[in-house]
Amino acid sequence: MSNVNTTTFTIVVALFVIVTGAGFAAARWRRATDMMQLDEWGLGGRSFGTFITWFLLGGDLYTAYTFIAVPALVFGSGSIGFYAVSYTIMVFPIVLIFLPRLWSVSRVHGYVTPADFIRGRYGSRGLALAAAFTGILALMPYIALQLVGIKAVITVMGVNSSSTNTYLKDLPLFIAFLVLAIFTYVSGLRAPALIAFIKDSLIYLFVIVAVFYIPTRLGGWSHIFGTAQTHFNSISPTTHKPIGTYVPTSHAIGSTQLDFASLALGSAVALFLYPHAITGTLAAKRRSVVKRNMIYLPLYSVLLALIALFGYMAVADPVTAANVKKAGNAQLAVPYLFQHMFPSWFTGIAFAGIIIGALVPAAIMSIAAANLFTRNIFKEFFKQDATPRLQTQMSQWASLVVKLGALLFAVELPQTFSINLQLLGGVWILQLAPMLIGGLFTRWFHRWALLTGWFTGMIYGTICAYNVKNATALHWAASSDIVFGHTIYIGLTAVILNLVVAVVLTLVLKAVRVPEGADETLPHQYTADPEEAPAPVPATV
Amino acid sequence: MTQPAIRPKSPVAAHPITSAAIAILVVATIFFTVYVPIYARLTPKVGDFPFFYFYLLIFMPITSLVLWIVVQLQKRLGTPVGNEEQS
Repeated sequence: MSNVNTTTFTIVVALFVIVTGAGFAAARWRRATDMMQLDEWGLGGRSFGTFITWFLLGGDLYTAYTFIAVPALVFGSGSIGFYAVSYTIMVFPIVLIFLPRLWSVSRVHGYVTPADFIRGRYGSRGLALAAAFTGILALMPYIALQLVGIKAVITVMGVNSSSTNTYLKDLPLFIAFLVLAIFTYVSGLRAPALIAFIKDSLIYLFVIVAVFYIPTRLGGWSHIFGTAQTHFNSISPTTHKPIGTYVPTSHAIGSTQLDFASLALGSAVALFLYPHAITGTLAAKRRSVVKRNMIYLPLYSVLLALIALFGYMAVADPVTAANVKKAGNAQLAVPYLFQHMFPSWFTGIAFAGIIIGALVPAAIMSIAAANLFTRNIFKEFFKQDATPRLQTQMSQWASLVVKLGALLFAVELPQTFSINLQLLGGVWILQLAPMLIGGLFTRWFHRWALLTGWFTGMIYGTICAYNVKNATALHWAASSDIVFGHTIYIGLTAVILNLVVAVVLTLVLKAVRVPEGADETLPHQYTADPEEAPAPVPATV
Repeated sequence: MTQPAIRPKSPVAAHPITSAAIAILVVATIFFTVYVPIYARLTPKVGDFPFFYFYLLIFMPITSLVLWIVVQLQKRLGTPVGNEEQS
């Protein structure tokens, strides 16, 4: 793979240049009178309508890593990888229950981050800090994994593969990230919102073409499914068990159904607890924009389902399967499949789609993490009287630091480490469910009970994930664990434990009348739909 | 979960049937994806697609449609209201 295909490479570079231009131009797009407000830089002025929000959230939630990792999981283990499809279906009815409420209350009070809401609802800086800490912790490896997505594409393109110097080898990655860092700094959330249009168009284009074209090269869908069925039912020589599952199996032959369902449910609840998803939501102009997006976003899930099927196409294509096996990295399944199936110019478009698809979420995630740091750590604990201007500058710099951290992650640490951390990230972020989703509906929970529950869930989830082992790994082998004889997603068991602790302690703390803290929100504010964005938050809230 | 504080004239109480319909639609959509045994099967095949894969694909436009109905029903509740009746 030492020779780089010139056509592919040229197209990728050309599209990257276009995107860079768009990223900088975005600073002038829908320009506000004063860009040095955190609402402007970090939330695009809370002005996006249904159309832009759809692209922004689509670009945000369906990341490049998803496009690489989901088919990689399907390629390696079969049907369990389709939990991602199931989860992106059920996420929208679940989210419709609580997200409009979060939007309304944040709009009324000018909350920028989920931790701002926690702070206002429970009057607790400590609980808000816990939420901010969890958010940043979960986002860092997620950003790093976007880089892993870029890396997979660059590896298959063969750029610099002959070099042995790590830094020279990762030069394209450095360039991509430098560009990303600068345009995020300059344009804030407007940059990923504008680039998302390009990203999504490219991805829709290559996925639809691939879904109709590749089966014709591989003898049709019946052959693809047939090969996958034979492959995953065959017995692995090392573990003496089937290689994977073709459909989730029931009890009789070792259940993967509960694992499948709990992974899907846990991930679905977790998705909109991630700060970057909330950032994309709070940028919406009206409450109805949020609701309408829950109707239209499942269209992206269709895309994800088709992308998951690429995993089976890679199984059915002997050349791709052999390439992946030789490289020893399932993450390369989709890039190799495209490279083998498509003419080089179209491979270029597909690869550019994946690279740009990494930039959009990485930008939003770094903005979300930066806002958490500025609002809930810097302003809260170091400079209570920070002006909006100072907060914006702080966020701009924090977004650079966050990205630099993610870059170090991606380059210095082994790739499996980032993947494990991201799996853990899902477990961690789910621990915010009682305080965040619970808090949107009731003030019954006591703040210290929520904090203790959160802590219990974090510790339990981390230890459980650490102890999972399989035939090839001693630790961090999967994000599912065996509880009472059933394989179930760790995040879900941890959050149930979290909730039980929170309920029991709330009863105790209420009985002994521990102060509950002030609640600055009012019931009707959870359903409010103000037309005007809130006035810039005074410095001393 | 305890009931949130409800204002004197709650739109949920004013439109019990609409509210119930919303709750049923949302819960059903979640249930039919969470309860895997319904669709974890090979047959009947639709075209070349085993049932499991076909079901997942077809359920997405259905979800869109159901959520569209839910949002329309919520408008009938009058004031913009969250879905607190589901908890």
